[in-house]
Amino acid sequence: MILATECDVVNEVICAPASVNELFEFPTIFTIGGLEFSRTELLMLLAAFIVVALLFFGLRNGRLVPTKFELVMESAVGFVRDGIGRDVIGTDSTKFVPYLLSLFLFILVGNLFEITPFINFPITSRMAIPAFLSLVTYWIFMILGFSRNGFRYLIDTAWPKTVPVGLRWLVGLIELVSVFFLRPLTLAVRLFANMVAGHLMLTLLLASGVIFVAAIPEIGLKGAVGFFWFGLGLFMFLLEILVAVLQAYIFTLLSAIYIESSIHFEH
Amino acid sequence: MEGNIEAITGALALIGYGLGAIGPGIGIGIVAGNAITAMARQPEMAGTIRTTMFLGIALTEALALIGFVLFFIASAG
Repeated sequence: MILATECDVVNEVICAPASVNELFEFPTIFTIGGLEFSRTELLMLLAAFIVVALLFFGLRNGRLVPTKFELVMESAVGFVRDGIGRDVIGTDSTKFVPYLLSLFLFILVGNLFEITPFINFPITSRMAIPAFLSLVTYWIFMILGFSRNGFRYLIDTAWPKTVPVGLRWLVGLIELVSVFFLRPLTLAVRLFANMVAGHLMLTLLLASGVIFVAAIPEIGLKGAVGFFWFGLGLFMFLLEILVAVLQAYIFTLLSAIYIESSIHFEH
Repeated sequence: MEGNIEAITGALALIGYGLGAIGPGIGIGIVAGNAITAMARQPEMAGTIRTTMFLGIALTEALALIGFVLFFIASAG
């Protein structure tokens, strides 16, 4: 972690870490059978555990009049099942709701780690996690596409019959690259980039704020810039809550849209 | 001299990403603005419109995200 204690408060107006990697890479804590566990892996396991615990304790009773906590969990399930599953995929959405729900909750918890006190690190800002999640989605909609439509899935994507012949090769090329290559890439990079940007901004602003305010006895009035950085950091903090929820929603929604486009493949 | 050229490469990658973000920025604005207009006209279609809006934003944003990836490749290489 940075908290750039060697920050040059006299000449600079904001504290930048020497290398961005310092913010995202943690030393290995222990090793089990060749798997190196650092803070990121432990947080990942913690996120999975939290999701399982939330779902287990929220839904195990199924009371007619739910408690407040159960109500929240039920509305989360209802949100994914109706708002994402049924609205996007349609009638045969029930099969995919468990996947979508676990995806949504895992990403949501992982994103919210960014603003959780004492954790302050979004696990989704390590590319491995969004990349793996988007590969799972890719795998699902590829298998669905080929099993429901056969080899026509590939041919009709590259040579769409509904488009005028003159443009068909161009549209086909764009569709081919977009469906088979850009979809998983952008799905992962969108989440990753948003979380990296948020984490960088929060660390930079809040750390600079604290360091400059602490240095007021040393550098005098110039340290007051720290109040501005800290205030801006608090504002970004609120904004990051929105970003965390929105990115979890968008990842799940796009997964559902891609799955739907493989099931109802007619163009 | 070598060091200077490397510094310029990194700065060029930054400028390139900035330029690459202009188009998707405008595009997402158009998509979202028109989606709002559509939702205001037909609130009962809001769910469908929202889904389509996110699909449109995803396609438009792809360009900015490719720029983001290329920025990392360019500034690392």
